[in-house]
Amino acid sequence: MNISTVLTKRSVVGGLVILILLIIFITLPLYAPAYTVILLTAIFMYIVLTVSWALFSGPTGYMSLAPAAFFGVGIYTAAILGMKLPLIVVIVCGGFFSFFLALLVGALTLRLRGIYFAIFTFGLVMLIAYLLLFWELHVTGTRGRFVIAVGHNTVYYIMYGNLVILLIVAVFVRRSKFGLALRSIGENEDAAAHTGVNVTLVKIVTFAISAFFIGTAGAVMATRWTYIDPFIAFNPLFSFMPVLMAIFGGTGQLWGPIIGAAIFAYLEEFLITRFPYYYMLIFGIILVIAILYMPKGLVGLIQKWRKGGGVV
Amino acid sequence: MKYTKYVICIIVLVAFALFPIACLAESKKEKNSIVFGAARPLSGPLAIYEETAFGPIYKMWIDEINEKGGIYVEEYGKKLPIETIIYDDKSDMGTMTRLLEKLMLEDKVDFVFPPASTAFLFAAGAVANRHGYILMGAEGGATTITDMLPAMPYFFGVLNYSDHNQMPALADLYEEWGVKKVAIIFIEDLHGIEYSGVATREFGKRGIEIALVKSTPPDIKDVSPILKEAKALNVDAFCSFTYPDTGFLVTGQSIELGFNPKAIVFGPGGNFAVYKKIFGKDVVEGVLAYGAWNYKSSPAAKEFYEKFISRYPEDILDWWGHLPYYAGLQCLEQAIEKAGTLNQKKVRDVLATEKFDTVLGETWFDMFGDGGGLLAVECYAGQIGQWQNGVFEVVGPKEKATAKAIYPKPPWPTK
Amino acid sequence: MIMKIVDVLICGLLLGGIYALIAVGLSLQYGVARVLNISHGELIMLGAFGTWSLYTFFDINPLISLVICGPVLFLAGFALHKTLFKSLLKSSGSIGAFEGSSLLACFGLLFIIQNIAITSWGADIKGYSYLSVPVNLGGAIFAANRLVTLAFAVGIGITFYLFLARTRLGKAIRAAAQDPAAAGLMGVNINHVLALCFGFGALMAGFAGVLLSMCYPVKATMGLEYTIIAIIVVVLGGLGSIPGSFIGGFILGIIGSIVSYIEPSLSLAAYYIIFILLLLVKPTGIMGK
Repeated sequence: MNISTVLTKRSVVGGLVILILLIIFITLPLYAPAYTVILLTAIFMYIVLTVSWALFSGPTGYMSLAPAAFFGVGIYTAAILGMKLPLIVVIVCGGFFSFFLALLVGALTLRLRGIYFAIFTFGLVMLIAYLLLFWELHVTGTRGRFVIAVGHNTVYYIMYGNLVILLIVAVFVRRSKFGLALRSIGENEDAAAHTGVNVTLVKIVTFAISAFFIGTAGAVMATRWTYIDPFIAFNPLFSFMPVLMAIFGGTGQLWGPIIGAAIFAYLEEFLITRFPYYYMLIFGIILVIAILYMPKGLVGLIQKWRKGGGVV
Repeated sequence: MKYTKYVICIIVLVAFALFPIACLAESKKEKNSIVFGAARPLSGPLAIYEETAFGPIYKMWIDEINEKGGIYVEEYGKKLPIETIIYDDKSDMGTMTRLLEKLMLEDKVDFVFPPASTAFLFAAGAVANRHGYILMGAEGGATTITDMLPAMPYFFGVLNYSDHNQMPALADLYEEWGVKKVAIIFIEDLHGIEYSGVATREFGKRGIEIALVKSTPPDIKDVSPILKEAKALNVDAFCSFTYPDTGFLVTGQSIELGFNPKAIVFGPGGNFAVYKKIFGKDVVEGVLAYGAWNYKSSPAAKEFYEKFISRYPEDILDWWGHLPYYAGLQCLEQAIEKAGTLNQKKVRDVLATEKFDTVLGETWFDMFGDGGGLLAVECYAGQIGQWQNGVFEVVGPKEKATAKAIYPKPPWPTK
Repeated sequence: MIMKIVDVLICGLLLGGIYALIAVGLSLQYGVARVLNISHGELIMLGAFGTWSLYTFFDINPLISLVICGPVLFLAGFALHKTLFKSLLKSSGSIGAFEGSSLLACFGLLFIIQNIAITSWGADIKGYSYLSVPVNLGGAIFAANRLVTLAFAVGIGITFYLFLARTRLGKAIRAAAQDPAAAGLMGVNINHVLALCFGFGALMAGFAGVLLSMCYPVKATMGLEYTIIAIIVVVLGGLGSIPGSFIGGFILGIIGSIVSYIEPSLSLAAYYIIFILLLLVKPTGIMGK
């Protein structure tokens, strides 16, 4: 058996698994209980947030804490436009508003590196929340907003579609020259610039693409939330969650953030419903143990197992 | 060796996957209890609500029902005790709405308790109506809900709020005392905007001048500039429509700055027993807060008070919400018994049309057409309270008062 | 008018002193030990709760609590670094990886500490009155407890600055901050120094908690709010720089005070505006290199 047949076999198996998963998830609302669909929507949302985050921050090493800002923009778009426009238009708008915000932020933060970039983006989340509050208070006089409700199956399919498109984009980015450029920025930004990579353009565009998907996720989820105000929409939790989920899964591979987010979100659901009074304690202990024993995330652990299995 | 790892992996995955199925299996038992479900903030910034507001009330109510053997439901021909399923919503809106749907769709609970805070209550109201579940409210209430109520037949608001009827009662007191000039600060959210708005309107009607209105963000750490300005304006009354953190800060800094208006309102925050505990009985003397009830309001209120303090530390008493929350649960209990069923629609119709005997006395809901309802204004034990000699006395409206109001408020004691 | 300006400035200094104190600990932990300690606020909360408990149950003066809560938290921080962060440092290949994994670990700590605090103290508001009396400074009135807090904050800051600048251990810490590898070659026991540094960070958090509890109510979920302020101040002032933390704290305090005076609803938005503008002009903070 030569290497190429092994590879083909592998990719055929991989392709089959993906196809089966796609079909299972498409047909799921037909036979699964309603709450399974709702829970999966939430898990998909976390996967979208995490994969989008990892799309930019994974290869470049820039830790963005802006997801909550983009997510909140999506939510607010749904709250403001939801009653006037068709759902799909609202969601795409949510994505584009986030996209443009990300272009602006990206252009502003070019000089910032490392922790300064992270905290800047976090400050941005808080600033938007406070300014929005000020605006609603003194200009529009709004006191919280009801968001138009949508059936859970519709929300599920939209979130699912969002996720599938995001994954296709992510695979494309990883495999293309674009992805190579991103990784070279992560390794050494100055060197990348010298070799002719348009560092600025690559960074900003990727940042904006990742923001687009977070924004659409926010616009979709808002319809499940029903009622929002600035601090509910711009909740810093949604900046930290994707980072933690991605580190938990491991950022080296595309599927690291995916399984990281899925397991993290499911584990959390399990704990808040089964051990509600000790959820934080158990979750905290799991986080500490996880990072102690799998410093490279789940991906690192699985890769180690594979190697170990081969030797034994 | 190679395979054990995969086996462990598979076992863990299967265990996880079985968890929702296990939940389903549980809910298909024979009916011998009434299951109440709730997504409450056990962690996060709203956890204080579960600790001191509705949390202690529903736990006490459940224990009392279960001591009696349960609620008699004719449909089953027996008394059914109450069981609960409580989840932690992490003080997050998305989690709360999702878990509420889990309770309704997957756990198929018989009734739900409300989540904490006005915004969460409104969101839960929309979810509950979508699934045809009664939502007997607790913490939270605001004028905006009256626009939504006609379309929310299953929503029952329990807590009194700004124009229902606290600010008119406060303005009446001010008018009677001859207050001429008022300063207002309010927290920048639904609660603060609404209270300052309604107060401004009510004060205006009575010819009281509003010399200063300032809003504060939720995490403000220093309010002394506002207090100094109010002091310079020499206002008769100061209203702080803020949450406990800010209210306690305002109290502390007012003392420190020697800011002594003749009337001072702190709410929500001033209505909690912990307010007296932190600052001491001499400091809080004469401070007003909205609420309100007192153990002197009625024999039933006294009995409730004694039950409460025999079970919980007195510090967590809330002289605003605790009595109405409990009354709401009593209404629900009696409505279930009268309807003789756990059917939401039938119980809802009893709630909408009947009158009940609760700790508030005769209690009923003012209905909004075919929509939801609010606890009738006449039922409340009071709207405005004042700390007098370490007791939170009802002072407004007049006919509900348990003591004569003190005006002007004595200056802060100087140690 | 001048009176008013002075008044607003002093208010800002009082607030800034508190912010600086919150930030110094985090500055050490991130600037030297490279741990972005998101659970910093939880340590502050523990200090505040410890003080509250000692005051309420044993009638111990909050200022005496400084020498009780501070050292206890120092030991806790030291032990944490010796166990958890040391092994994380070993297993992470690079500083970048260590920053990521220690952030995750700190999040875990945040969850654990907050849950323990909620179960042992409850989630409700606690507080006590200590020194909440007016002090008249040439016509303007200020609170005694805030003046004491500012005095202690500046005192602690200067002491610690001198400690870093003058003592052998302080020099070792600074060397470790600048170039861990070279410091190791020079015979500095890096792990030990980093653990001490983390411990000092926790000590500062404890001090901040003790002093804060005199001015603000205490609750189990208050931590994150203070962590966020601390991070902003640290980044504003420059990582690992104690004078930077004080400058950052005072800037935020004074600006907050001025904005509060004009339009209180923008006071917190102003922090972020200043912070964002400053980073755009000087991307490594005021005292950063």
